[in-house]
Amino acid sequence: MAIPEKVDAVIVGAGPSGLMLAARLSEAGRKVVVLELGPPWEPKDLISSQIWSRRLKWHGANQLEGRNPVAHNFNAGWGVGGSVIHQYANWPRLHAEDFNVHSAFGRGLDWPFSYDVLRPWYDRIQNEVGVSGDHTREVWRPAGAPYPMPPVKVFPHAERVAEGFQKLGMRVSPAPVAINSVPFKGRPACVYDAWCDAGCPIGALVNTFVTYLPEALKHGAEIRPYSNALRVLTNARGDRAHGVEYVDTRTKERQVQMADLVILSAFTSQTPRLMLNSANDKHPNGLSNSNGLVGRYIMTHTGASAFGLFDEDVQNYMGTSAAQLISQDGYAKSSKRDFIGSYTWMIGAASKPNDFTGIANTQVPLFGAALHDYMKRASKGLVKISAVMEALPNADNRIVLSDRKDEYGMPIARIIHSLDEDALKLFAHAREEGLRIMHATAAKEVWAPPGPPALLHFTGGTPMGKSAADSVTDGYGRAHELANLYITGAGLYPTEGAVHPTFTLHALTARTADHLVRNWGTIVA
Amino acid sequence: MTVDRRSMLKGAALSAFAFTVGGATSWLTLREAYAQSVPLNVLTPTERAALEALGETLLPGAREAGIALYVDHQLSVDPGDCLLAARVANVPPPVSNFYRACLGALDRAATAAHGMPFAQLSPEQRNHFVDAMRQKVPEGWTGPPSPFFYLLARMDAVDVVYGTVEGFERLGVPYMPHVSPTSKW
Ligand SMILES: Cc1cc2nc3c(=O)[nH]c(=O)nc-3n(C[C@H](O)[C@H](O)[C@H](O)COP(=O)(O)OP(=O)(O)OC[C@H]3O[C@@H](n4cnc5c(N)ncnc54)[C@H](O)[C@@H]3O)c2cc1C
Ligand code: SF4
Repeated sequence: MAIPEKVDAVIVGAGPSGLMLAARLSEAGRKVVVLELGPPWEPKDLISSQIWSRRLKWHGANQLEGRNPVAHNFNAGWGVGGSVIHQYANWPRLHAEDFNVHSAFGRGLDWPFSYDVLRPWYDRIQNEVGVSGDHTREVWRPAGAPYPMPPVKVFPHAERVAEGFQKLGMRVSPAPVAINSVPFKGRPACVYDAWCDAGCPIGALVNTFVTYLPEALKHGAEIRPYSNALRVLTNARGDRAHGVEYVDTRTKERQVQMADLVILSAFTSQTPRLMLNSANDKHPNGLSNSNGLVGRYIMTHTGASAFGLFDEDVQNYMGTSAAQLISQDGYAKSSKRDFIGSYTWMIGAASKPNDFTGIANTQVPLFGAALHDYMKRASKGLVKISAVMEALPNADNRIVLSDRKDEYGMPIARIIHSLDEDALKLFAHAREEGLRIMHATAAKEVWAPPGPPALLHFTGGTPMGKSAADSVTDGYGRAHELANLYITGAGLYPTEGAVHPTFTLHALTARTADHLVRNWGTIVA
Repeated sequence: MTVDRRSMLKGAALSAFAFTVGGATSWLTLREAYAQSVPLNVLTPTERAALEALGETLLPGAREAGIALYVDHQLSVDPGDCLLAARVANVPPPVSNFYRACLGALDRAATAAHGMPFAQLSPEQRNHFVDAMRQKVPEGWTGPPSPFFYLLARMDAVDVVYGTVEGFERLGVPYMPHVSPTSKW
C-alpha cells in the first residue's frame, strides 16, 4: 500500500461543497487533496442530449428498500464537479420556520441555529456565484439582500399556468435561480435552450466548472479523480481522524492519504456509508456513532405534478430545466392542516421529449400509435407544474451497511425509506390543488398522476444539532467524537423545508469554510 | 472553464456509433446499422427479436430506429458509460442481467398466454399483452416487475425515436445544442 505525502486537509468528494472547502483552505495556504471517485469531467463532456446526460449520474449499486425506495441515482452525480454539474439551479432559500420544526410542532428535529445565522451566508453566496430573481415579488422569502440579477425570462407555457394561479387568488413570483439572466462576472447570460439537465457548458448556470473547481486549482489544491475512498482512519486513541484509505479505480492500487483534517463531502448516501465502514476498536459502530445516529433521519422531498394540454404552441421547449415562476402560498406550516409540512409550486420548467422528466413520461399509460399522437400534440402544447414537498425526518429512515459488497470489498449502502402519513396527506393535498390550478387555466385537457409521490432531493443521515446526544455533528459539521472530522452537504440538514437543497448547502459550507480558516490552529492542534 | 458556444455549434449533429462491419470499424447511425443488419454483442437473436417486437409495439418505428442495437451497445460498455434509463432507475450493474431476465420473462409469459414467444404474436395480441403487463404482472412472468420493465423499455423506444436530433425535427421542436452529440455513444 503506497503512502503519499501527508497534507493539511483531505476531502472526499469533488462536488460543490468539497470543492468550495478545497478552494477556501488552499487560498488560506493549506495543502489540500480532494479524492474523487469518478472521472475528471470537463465542460465538453456536457453533451446536449437527455440520453448522454445519464453518463453524469451515479451508477454504483445501492440496496434500496422500504415502502418508498429513494430515487437515488436520478439525484446523484459522480466525477469531478459532483452532482451539481447538471443541476437545474432552482435556488430558493429555506424559511425561518424551517429551522425550528421540533420546537414548534414537537415533530422532527431543530437546526442548531436560526435562519438569521445563515442569512449573511446566503447573501454572500448569491453575490459570489450569481442568482437571478426578484426579492420584492417573492413575498414569502425571508429577509436578505436583493438578488444580484433580475429574473430570468418567462415563456408562454409558464404564463398560461400563472393565469390559473391568479384565477384562484394565488400569488406567483419570479423563481430564484442560479442562472444568469444577464452576463455576470464574465459569464454569459442564459440562451434558454433548456439543456441544463445535461449540463450547461457555457457557464450561464452555477456549476463547479465556473465556481470552485478553477478556484481550488488556482490556489494549488490537488484533485485526484478515480480515487474511491473506502475508510477514514483514526489515531490509536480514536479521538482524531488522521487519513483516508482509498483505491485507484484504474490501477486497483490501495493508498492512504494522511492529513491533519479530514472532510467528508461524498453526498447524502456515501458519507454515512464511509463512516459506518470505518468502524474500528474505538468506534465499533462506525465513526463517531456512539449514539447510533449515523445514517438515520434520511429524507427526500416528495413531488406532485399536474399537467395541461393546449392546442397552441406554448413554447414549452424554451426556458431552463429550472422553474421560471414559483408560488409558496402553501409554505407556512400549520397544525390546522391535517399534515405538518411545507410545499413550493414550481412553474414553467421547459420540457424535452425523452427521459424521466420528459414529455413521453407525462402519460406513461400511452403506447403505440396513441403515444405518437400524444408526442405530436404535447411537444408544443404541454404545460406543467410540480410541487416540491417537505417530508419530516424519521429515525427509521436510514442508511446501514448491506451484506452485499462492491468490487473493492466495501459493503454497499442499504437505504431504507418510507413516507409517513403527513407526507402522503401533503401529496394528496398538493395534487388536488394542482388539478384545481390547471382546471383554472385555458388548457383543453388536464390531469395529475395519482401517485405514489415522486421522490426528489436526498438529504439527512448525518444531522447537525446542538447536543451530541441527538445529532451527528455540531453546527459547523464537525463530528461529535472526532475533533478534526468534518462533514458537508445536505446530509447535515435536520429538516429539509420545501426548497431545493443547494443554495443552503453553499451557504452552510461557506460558513464552515470561514470557521475552519479562522480556527485552523485549534482545530488541527 | 467553459466552452465557447460558437465552436461547439460547429459540426453535424449526428448521433453515430462505432460498429464493426466486415472486420472494419464504421461510424453508423443506429438506423443505418439496423439497415445493414449489424450483429449484436450481448443479446441473443431470441432476445433481440423480443426487444424489437416490444419496442415496435411501444412506439412504432423503434425497431428501425435501432432500439436493439442501442440497448445492446449500452449493455456492452462499462457501467459508468452506460446511457440507458435503467441506470438512472437504480438497476444495479451489470444491467444486462436485468434485460435478460425481463426479455426472458416476456417470452415465457407470452408463451403461457398464447403458446408462442412475444415476437410471434399478432399485432393485436401484442397490444393487449403490453396493455396488461404495464398494469400488472402477467401469469407466467418471473423476474423484475413487468410495469417497471414496461416503463424502461418504453423509455428506450422513446430515446431512439424522439431523443435524437432527427426525433426533435420530427416533432418540429428546435434542438439548439451547446455540445452536439457527435462523438460515439
Ligand atoms: C439532475 C439534478 C438536478 C438537480 N437540480 C437541483 C436544483 O434545481 N436545485 C438544487 O438546489 N439542487 C439540485 N440538485 C442537487 C445538487 O446537485 C446537489 O445538492 C449538490 O451537488 C450536492 O453537493 P455535494 O457537494 O454535497 O455533493 P455532490 O455534488 O453529490 O458531490 C459528491 C461527490 O462525492 C463523490 N464520492 C462519493 N463517494 C465517494 C467515495 N467513496 N470516494 C470518493 N468520492 C466519492 C461523488 O462521486 C461526487 O462527485 C440537482 C441534482 C441533480 C443530479
Ligand atoms: S438553458 Fe441556459 S442555463 Fe440551461 S443549459 Fe441552456 S444556457 Fe445553460
